[in-house]
Amino acid sequence: MLTLAYTTLALLVTITARTIPDNYNQERRALLAEETLTSVGGKQKLNDEETRANEILMKLKTNELNASYFNPQHFNFSKHYFSYKKDIEKSRVYQIIRSMPKGAVLHVHSSLMLHPDILVKLTYEEYLYACYTHDSIKLQFSKATPARPCANKWALVSELRNNSSDPNAFDAHLRDYFTLYRENEDYDYVDINTVWKRFNKVYYAIKSLITYRPVREKYWYETLKQFYNDNVMYIEVRSGLPDLYELDGTKHGKRYLVELYKNGTDKFIEEHPDFIGIKLILTRDRAQSINHVLEAINVTRQLKAEMPDLIAGFDLVGQEDLGRPLSDFIPILSEAKEEINLYLHAGETAWLGTSTDENLVDAILLGSKRIGHGYALTKHPSLMSALIKKDIALEVNVISNVVLSLVHDVRNHPLATYLALGLPVVLSSDDPGAWSAEPLSHDFFVAFMGVASKRADLRMLKQLAINSIVYSALEEDRKSRLFAVFYDRWDRFIKDVISNESYRDLEVS
Amino acid sequence: MRYLILILFTYVKCDPDYFAKRNRIVESELRIALGGNMSLTSKENEVNNCLMRHKFDELDYAFNNPDNFGLSHHFFKYKDNIPKSKVYKIIKDMPKGAILHIHDMAIIGPDYLLNITYMDNLYVCLGKQISFLFSNKVPNTTCENRWELMSEVRRAAKNVTAFDAKIRKQFTLVVKNPDIVYPTIKETWTAFGNFFSTVHPLLTYRPIWEKYFYDALKAFRDDNVYYVEVRSILPNLYELDGTVFEKIVTAKAYKKAIHKFMRDYPDFVGAKLIFAPNRKVNRTILSEYIQTARQIKNSMPELFAGFDLVGQEDAGNPLIEFVPQLCAATNLNFFFHAGETNWFGTMTDENLVDAVLLGAKRIGHAYALAKHPVLLEMVKEKQIGLEVNVVSNSVLSLVRDVRNHPLNIFLSLNLPVVLSSDDPGAWEADPLSDDFYISFVGVASRLADLRVLKTLALNSLKYSALDPAAKTLAITHFHSKWNSFIENFDCRSY
Repeated sequence: MLTLAYTTLALLVTITARTIPDNYNQERRALLAEETLTSVGGKQKLNDEETRANEILMKLKTNELNASYFNPQHFNFSKHYFSYKKDIEKSRVYQIIRSMPKGAVLHVHSSLMLHPDILVKLTYEEYLYACYTHDSIKLQFSKATPARPCANKWALVSELRNNSSDPNAFDAHLRDYFTLYRENEDYDYVDINTVWKRFNKVYYAIKSLITYRPVREKYWYETLKQFYNDNVMYIEVRSGLPDLYELDGTKHGKRYLVELYKNGTDKFIEEHPDFIGIKLILTRDRAQSINHVLEAINVTRQLKAEMPDLIAGFDLVGQEDLGRPLSDFIPILSEAKEEINLYLHAGETAWLGTSTDENLVDAILLGSKRIGHGYALTKHPSLMSALIKKDIALEVNVISNVVLSLVHDVRNHPLATYLALGLPVVLSSDDPGAWSAEPLSHDFFVAFMGVASKRADLRMLKQLAINSIVYSALEEDRKSRLFAVFYDRWDRFIKDVISNESYRDLEVS
Repeated sequence: MRYLILILFTYVKCDPDYFAKRNRIVESELRIALGGNMSLTSKENEVNNCLMRHKFDELDYAFNNPDNFGLSHHFFKYKDNIPKSKVYKIIKDMPKGAILHIHDMAIIGPDYLLNITYMDNLYVCLGKQISFLFSNKVPNTTCENRWELMSEVRRAAKNVTAFDAKIRKQFTLVVKNPDIVYPTIKETWTAFGNFFSTVHPLLTYRPIWEKYFYDALKAFRDDNVYYVEVRSILPNLYELDGTVFEKIVTAKAYKKAIHKFMRDYPDFVGAKLIFAPNRKVNRTILSEYIQTARQIKNSMPELFAGFDLVGQEDAGNPLIEFVPQLCAATNLNFFFHAGETNWFGTMTDENLVDAVLLGAKRIGHAYALAKHPVLLEMVKEKQIGLEVNVVSNSVLSLVRDVRNHPLNIFLSLNLPVVLSSDDPGAWEADPLSDDFYISFVGVASRLADLRVLKTLALNSLKYSALDPAAKTLAITHFHSKWNSFIENFDCRSY
């Protein structure tokens, strides 16, 4: 009898040992559901069509990620962006993201928005002189040889190009001055200061090309076209408002460039009525003196009074570790914030507990409307709570953080934590032209595939696009228009995905 | 003059409480963080001042010269410079409590293993990968070349130094150009797997095993560590005649080595065993493992701490596969590896969910935890110790620049963190000091100080598997070691 009881008991134990207990499963599912609900997009509800599109998207995502999971030696996102950039086009997930309406770009610097291929086209303008030194280039438009000093000698770009044995190679070489991207070079691991030096060189090369007024007009038009074609309907542009010049040497003041942006954008809207427009966030280099920054704030104040719809606010830019910390500018910034909205860069650093890191404290105390990067935020739990309470959005630029040496494997980017916590995140691209990226799609793609959870789906993508509208500086009427344009495009996008023949094989039920 | 007026003018406009508010925030963050509510004695404060002066010197130099900041690179690129650091020297001398996450086959470095190859009766097979076996006759196991006596091969070598250097290379992952040799996690884990295959037959020869673990305990103590919980697959030991023993014999060998060591070094607190077999098995074999665990627990309760599963987590079975059996094994304490991955939202990542739900006492690595806010709260509430191994995560291709290691988030939230070293022998690191140093200087806040170090050391005892009475004793013992470290501290000697 005892034996029988023992055998029965043993049998029972064996049977239960083969299946997962119900309560375990329930608890596990509830826990995962709570995590999804907490995350960015977790509360989005998809309609039937969106659900079908999501199934297609997730099949593609799962296939692509599984291929990487089982072959990590081929997993691109663990390597530098430059090593996989040209493969992105091949991804079917990317094709969907490219065609998806993405709302707005809220963190981008005016001189570094345009793809270098198009910058090279702009060098075909007449009267362009170049001064080559061993690793940099200066450009200037002029009727006669420029009077500015040149370590080598000034020469007309058109003549150099005509005299070169291979004009294509000449252009390719010229393009290298406008971008950090190198297609066939192994990217070495350089420190943040070295990469910023290279980055600044690219910036100065481009700036010397586009401060010529006629080129700047074309530059701006081409830039808007690229962003529009990447399904971006509104942009907030950070600009230091450099002086533009004419062929005869006439210089234009800051106001002139603001008007150029406005007129160029208005013209673009006439041709593309569903483009909502731009706003400017005026900037100054954070390495400059308090006086200079105060001057820039005063210019912002004045321009905002004249063109309140166009000027969104003020920010300080440049390599954060090397510039002055925000705490140096507290008096002038806390005065300014009464009239001008601040959109401060803060915590774009890997250094925990340093002055750069503590810029996050100041950005929040100064009432910054959004925070540029906020890379260091995950290490500051109380600041994170303050950010949620005050609903301050984070402008996250994943590719920028890789290229500018903050993180190598994007799976270690803090965005993963922000997304999991459901923080108010917007994705942006910082300086896509400087690394030959698409205006926004590359950043969306890398964030969705490389950083976010494997389970993150269309709801997260939609929420990120919506966030970019919600946290924009747009006034209510234009914001509603942007939403209307976005939802209209979104519906068409969903219909396109579910009616696309090439996804037929993926559809489940 | 104009500038002065401007400043006066602007300062008047500034919120007079601004900097007070700001200080409150910065201080409250430090208070919330690990170690934040500890107070130091005046003598400890002196030590802290010395420590922090050196830390600031190092970090401020690095901040201004990031090209020279080694810790943003691969560990192999800067490991030889670490001993020059004054902060490191202080940490080395500091009592660090316990090591709670370490695998037995990779505790002591390659020089020790090279020495073993000088022993009698060792055969070697010089194939593409070098294999060893102790035997009293030519082994009959497969060999892609042929089995030869190691002593003869060495005698025949033209240059013994070069020959030994070549052999030594088999016992370490360290290379000069890690970025080229280990471009991704695939290459790293392949090399790591090969390391274990080579080392296994050298260490599992019974007489060596007993001595090896004794020497490992010595290495811990030399690094100012006084208690250890070691993970073992419990390899089957063997004799020269080919006799192979059961796992229980290996466990007994542990017990014997620990006893001997504690007799020789009475100030050592002790060691326990976590049975941690490979996760890449089927359910039947797992059941056998659980049986073995129970058997050891019953026969050596004071030695046995609990159960875990090991091996590359992405490539092995997820915990969910074994949940039915693990749920039933209620009498075992679990110390699961979980979330040692960069893959967010995958099965490996979700091992964290199962580790928590299965009631793990501690979690090995938990690298992915920062991406799981709900689990993170549960870890804190249930006080599940997190065994963090920064150097391991860097060497095994999870993170390059340690400033991006999630440990800094765990510290800022005061999660139950313990620092450990995983497999220090395989990458020629200290038993614990290198991990402490890199975590302190490279990962933690610039402002993290002696309180963080002391709390981490205390945590290693608090979250150990010692029973309450033994734990109290161990903590008392730590305080006496700590106090003598503080009393004898002389800043000038660093």
